[in-house]
Amino acid sequence: MEPVWDINKIQEVLPQRYPFLFIDSVLEINGKEKKATCVKNVSIDDYFFTGHFPGNPVMPGVIIIEAMAQASIVLFAALKPHLAAKHPNYYLGKVEAKFKKPVRPGDRLILEVSAEKMLDNAGIVRARALVNEETVAEARITFGVKAK
Amino acid sequence: MPKKDFEEVKKEIKKLVSEITEVPQAQLKEDARFSEDLGVDSMMALEIVASIEKKYRVVIPEEKLPTIRSLQNVYELLEGIMK
Repeated sequence: MEPVWDINKIQEVLPQRYPFLFIDSVLEINGKEKKATCVKNVSIDDYFFTGHFPGNPVMPGVIIIEAMAQASIVLFAALKPHLAAKHPNYYLGKVEAKFKKPVRPGDRLILEVSAEKMLDNAGIVRARALVNEETVAEARITFGVKAK
Repeated sequence: MPKKDFEEVKKEIKKLVSEITEVPQAQLKEDARFSEDLGVDSMMALEIVASIEKKYRVVIPEEKLPTIRSLQNVYELLEGIMK
């Protein structure tokens, strides 16, 4: 599948940068269904593998949540481009998450997000992370958006 | 919706709001102000709205949200929408 957003467009929307930018490309945006699909290619070069863990690289669950949260910003920006264009601050409000399988270097982490509720200044998003079409984590994320 | 049924809805909403805000139902007075009296923040308010929308399959318009300041406001808004 050809990406619909490349890294330049992603960096226009997401304030995060290396080593804390966890979206490599956006595969699909469905405005009608309020859904988006993003990709993070997990690499042994990712900074967190240095310590998590030596000789046993596992992607930290909190980083998977962060990747889901960044995918949620992508979805917000796709649904409300005029607001995202003003580069507001995004705040994580609440996270309920489940982790099912470890994610390791070489995995292509697919992040599917769908809006349960999307307002101008906040949102609730359901997120699913998959590797090889298998769910590795799920979360419900509540976030706030505030103009700078 | 008959009056008796809406009394049931009120009970359900009170329970739902109590679960999200972690304020016991006994303390959740109808006219207590969410923000000032109960410590409900905007994220909780959003969750309350999203939960009600899902449970009753209604849409609460974004511009109505600032009018929701107490449990009584929630009842009134939902009663209007469900009519």
